[in-house]
Amino acid sequence: MEPGKEKGTATPREQNQSPRPNLKPVTMNKNLRKKKKKDLEELKKEVDMDDHKLTLDELSAKYSVDLTRGHSLKDAQEILFINGPNSLTPPPSIPNWVKFCKQMFGGFSLLLWTGAFLCFLAYSINLRYNEKADKDNLYLGIVLSAVVLITGCFSYYQESKSSKIMESFKNMVPQQALVIRDGERMQINVKDVVLGDLVEVKGGDQVPADIRVISAQGCKVDNSSLTGESEPQSRCPDCTHENPLETRNIIFFSTNCVEGTARGIVISTGDNTVMGRIASLTSGLTMGQTPIAVEIEHFIHLITAVAVFLGVTFFFLSLILGYGWLDAVIFLIGIIVANVPEGLLATVTVCLTLTAKRMARKNCLVKNLEAVETLGSTSTICSDKTGTLTQNRMTVAHLWFDKTVYEADTSEEQTTGKTFPKSSDTWFYLARIAGLCNRADFKPHQESVPVAKRATTGDASESALLKFIEQSYNSVNEMREKNPKVAEIPFNSTNKYQMSIHLLEDNPQAHMLMMKGAPEKILDFCTSFMLNGQEFPMDEEMKVDFQNAYLELGGMGERVLGFCYLNLPSNFSKGFQFNTDELNFPMESLCFVGLISMIDPPRTAVPDAVGKCRNAGIKVIMVTGDHPITAKAIAKSVGIISEANETAEEMAARLNIPVSQLNTKSIKAIVVHGSELKDMDSNQLDHILKTYKEIVFARTSPQQKLIIVEGCQRLGAIVAVTGDGVNDSPALKKADIGIAMGITGSDVSKQAADMILLDDNFASIVTGVEEGRLIFDNLKKSIAYTLTSNIPEITPFLMFIILSIPLPLGTITILCIDLGTDMVPAISLAYESPESDIMKRLPRNPKTDNLVNHRLIGMAYGQIGMIQALAGFFTYFVILAENGFKPLDLLGIRLYWDDARLNDLEDSYGQQWTYEQRKVMEFTCQTSFFISIVIVQWADLIICKTRRNSLFKQGMKNKVLLFGIFEETMLAAILSYTPGMDVALRMYPLKINWWFCAIPYSALIFIYDEGRKLIIRRRPGGWLEKETYY
Amino acid sequence: MWAMLQTLNDEVPKYRDQIPSPGLMVFPKPLTALEYTYSMSKPPTYEKFTEDLKRFLEPYSVEEQKNLTNCPDGTPFKQSGPVYQACQFPVSLLQNCSGVNDTDFGYSKGQPCILVKMNRIIELMPDGSPQIICDAKDADIANILTYPDHGLIDLKYFPYYGKKRHVGYRQPLVAVQVIFESSATKKEVTVECKIGGSSNLKNEDDRDKFLGRVVFKVTVST
Repeated sequence: MEPGKEKGTATPREQNQSPRPNLKPVTMNKNLRKKKKKDLEELKKEVDMDDHKLTLDELSAKYSVDLTRGHSLKDAQEILFINGPNSLTPPPSIPNWVKFCKQMFGGFSLLLWTGAFLCFLAYSINLRYNEKADKDNLYLGIVLSAVVLITGCFSYYQESKSSKIMESFKNMVPQQALVIRDGERMQINVKDVVLGDLVEVKGGDQVPADIRVISAQGCKVDNSSLTGESEPQSRCPDCTHENPLETRNIIFFSTNCVEGTARGIVISTGDNTVMGRIASLTSGLTMGQTPIAVEIEHFIHLITAVAVFLGVTFFFLSLILGYGWLDAVIFLIGIIVANVPEGLLATVTVCLTLTAKRMARKNCLVKNLEAVETLGSTSTICSDKTGTLTQNRMTVAHLWFDKTVYEADTSEEQTTGKTFPKSSDTWFYLARIAGLCNRADFKPHQESVPVAKRATTGDASESALLKFIEQSYNSVNEMREKNPKVAEIPFNSTNKYQMSIHLLEDNPQAHMLMMKGAPEKILDFCTSFMLNGQEFPMDEEMKVDFQNAYLELGGMGERVLGFCYLNLPSNFSKGFQFNTDELNFPMESLCFVGLISMIDPPRTAVPDAVGKCRNAGIKVIMVTGDHPITAKAIAKSVGIISEANETAEEMAARLNIPVSQLNTKSIKAIVVHGSELKDMDSNQLDHILKTYKEIVFARTSPQQKLIIVEGCQRLGAIVAVTGDGVNDSPALKKADIGIAMGITGSDVSKQAADMILLDDNFASIVTGVEEGRLIFDNLKKSIAYTLTSNIPEITPFLMFIILSIPLPLGTITILCIDLGTDMVPAISLAYESPESDIMKRLPRNPKTDNLVNHRLIGMAYGQIGMIQALAGFFTYFVILAENGFKPLDLLGIRLYWDDARLNDLEDSYGQQWTYEQRKVMEFTCQTSFFISIVIVQWADLIICKTRRNSLFKQGMKNKVLLFGIFEETMLAAILSYTPGMDVALRMYPLKINWWFCAIPYSALIFIYDEGRKLIIRRRPGGWLEKETYY
Repeated sequence: MWAMLQTLNDEVPKYRDQIPSPGLMVFPKPLTALEYTYSMSKPPTYEKFTEDLKRFLEPYSVEEQKNLTNCPDGTPFKQSGPVYQACQFPVSLLQNCSGVNDTDFGYSKGQPCILVKMNRIIELMPDGSPQIICDAKDADIANILTYPDHGLIDLKYFPYYGKKRHVGYRQPLVAVQVIFESSATKKEVTVECKIGGSSNLKNEDDRDKFLGRVVFKVTVST
């Protein structure tokens, strides 16, 4: 806004020295790859061009083109050959197989692959040194690989499904353009438009390139996809602003011409256009890891550390115990592999998918599975204004007549019931002027559509008035029929008013002149004013009142229109030929009726949603291309700037002191103008982001949006960005989670985003945050549940090594738990309802509040897992003892037990067992160990439902979880009792009473953990909470 | 755990259904697999076997069994305690393999004796008259003699009442002597022994190669 601002340093793209500097971009593109990094920095800078400041002659010289005849065909060909087609280079699309491999070898999968590799290694070592190698390791390796493959395919399938939805959005570049070459108008393909081409654009067209306007007739363009400004802007050949984005004589590639026509010279094409720069900036940005990926990596580190520690410890222990090197190495590998939670990858994937589906039902389409959780971790939301916070529809907000400001109902569904004295005669006049002196009209066949949602022809303000009158007064069409228009002067930017003359229904011979326009302009026409239906001569008091009302409405960021009328004298009665060019009628001494102000009002649900975000500790920053006053007004009405807070300027105005004298510490809100932001360095920006709680950035350029996002990220925030325009896409891409608008959003923004709001409603984001937080909590629970059974799975092997007892739990049974019985219950925890209002706590700190921390591992491994292991061993020893092998006699028995040639091993009672009989016994014990784990996992599942609350408070409402318990039990029973399982999986039927051995331990787990949670609740912040609350 | 141990019966394990039928096992136990390979002319190659046999049969000597009961033949020796008596198993029943006349158990003559015994299972009561039937895989190479005759196991040794109650119990034995045919060029034979004569003792199980049967190989060189 400030003219004479210093321009950025010259960039290679600057194009004012040589006559055809723009012919270079082809070579530039090659360089682009080499110094991508540097170029990216450059792309972040503001658009820098001066074509808008050139005179037409200079322009003609610069592009060596005739401003009336255009290029010659030959020149155009040549330039096209040198510069290449006028199209955006599509972002390098990742081939499907690379995406697939990413699924296969990312994070968690890598851990499982390592496990599988170790298994194969152990098997081959075994094979090499023992003739009769145990095949368990081989099977385990195969199963591990299969798990990764299946889960990989599953997530690949899920993601490709989302991207298919994406593809349906595709259509962006305009197809045809009207150019003038050799003096002839011709339709050509947009991609053949070249630099310097003389182009004509008319209403309804998409602009084919960046164009400097040389002549225009009532041309209005919709720049919203570029700047976010919702109102169409008029275009004329004059340079009106230093900033190329704000000046009126440039129209931009891929924006829309709404009405009128314009003719101009192409000043840049393809990737060099403003839009193209944004697109390349977007595709050049690299995305960081998602928070959940970081968490999973952290988790893998922890698990690996535990696994390696255990493995190495027992490696040395077994050496000390006198095992051979080879055995020790096999043990080492075995222990490490046993620590790998085979089922967790699948569990996490399924949990995320379930949430993604749930979110899709609530209008949040998630493109990238991992992004599901990101929203939950979000601590800052940078929201666009237009369309996200607002309805993207001009609506009448206030009226001023009879010296009073009345509020109109701006809600989407007309539900607030706000009203005003419709009985006043002034309102009758006002409504008549607004309805009649109005060129907007409803498009046909919309009778069933609510008025507010009907499509209209004409400009936004007029449509707003039209709808408003239709809603609160009467049918406008009827009114127009009864009061036919006989003459009119349409609105234009020089006279700033619109006038029309109508025959009156109540006096069919008389004409009434009606006028609306810029309030100050209207006031100048008036010599009287209307109060309660009576005309009074204009006085100073009225003028002051008018000024105050105008300021008040304008200060709310609303567009204000004034209305007045004149009953034409009888000599201008019916039949008079009005000539609007010569003005053969009086157009002075009008009677002022009132003001109507309009705004693009906030969506109804937004203030509530912003409030929820606030409660949830999420900072909502508005970043918009719109004007500061409008931005601030919307920010205030939706609560981004809360009622209690005021900006420095407001406070200064209230206290009547200069801004510089204010105590800035007490100020929490600020509106930052894009031009101020332009001059800031990153420290200053950080300072603003840190100091102010409530921030609105207005008049920002796409590059600045990116800078703001980077600033927030620099401060450690996890940033969500919402946006719909192409201008938002760099920020969307850079954000931890970019949220694009499904209805109004441009394709580029949808491509760049991670999530798409199908209903464009900010309130849906809050649902997303809630779901994201819930899934984070529930994933914790799932992981705690799954990890716990790792201990009863590893300890048998450890005891096998140390105590030389028959192996209490084999590989197959471990897999049955991890990939069988544990799966459904673990997934069912994803359906768990939140323990407390998750929208009332602060967003998690990504540095300290991890998905899996040592406390979770400590609880799962150290405490619950240990009890579970005890339960398993108890059952194991009970069964062996009941069959003749007392626990003490088992110690050290391993070598004899596993000796296939020893077929008369004596038990504690003197009975003798063949090898096979012993093995059947052993596998029966393993089955019972397995069943015991299932039984203690019941309790584990129930305690994992809550992290702090008692189960009695949480209840057992999760039906999926109940099903999970039932399912795992049935599965265990099937595995144990199905005939043939002895051959297939070496699982044997158990006696019924062996099922009950673990039940006391189940109860113990439940009581133990309820006790722990009770103490945590009683002593918040106490030692137990610090050590065990995960 | 301790409480669980208290509930256990010291005399009889709670369940015996994991071992419904006994396995067969041979003695002495060769170091590798069940292959008896030795050379007649080199005593050290078979001394280990004979020593083991001697030691194994020590408890079966008359002297050692003098406190045991001389039970009536042919009927199960059922007892109800509290004191359980063990039946004598006179080593002489093993005839040539008793080690009384031939301290080498036939090894030096190339006619080695191998003991076959049935695994002890508490309170197991075989039906009919159980016997151990041994056959050479190739009858042209060797004859198999069993002692007692027909490999019969007398029912008086059943039932077994467990280590704690049945002190001094002598496990009934059957000796197998491999007599190679003089015509046989290669003195190598595989012998299979099975429990027969009793319907409740299994001798064929796909998976358990030792349930009611045992296979071993004897290779004698000069």
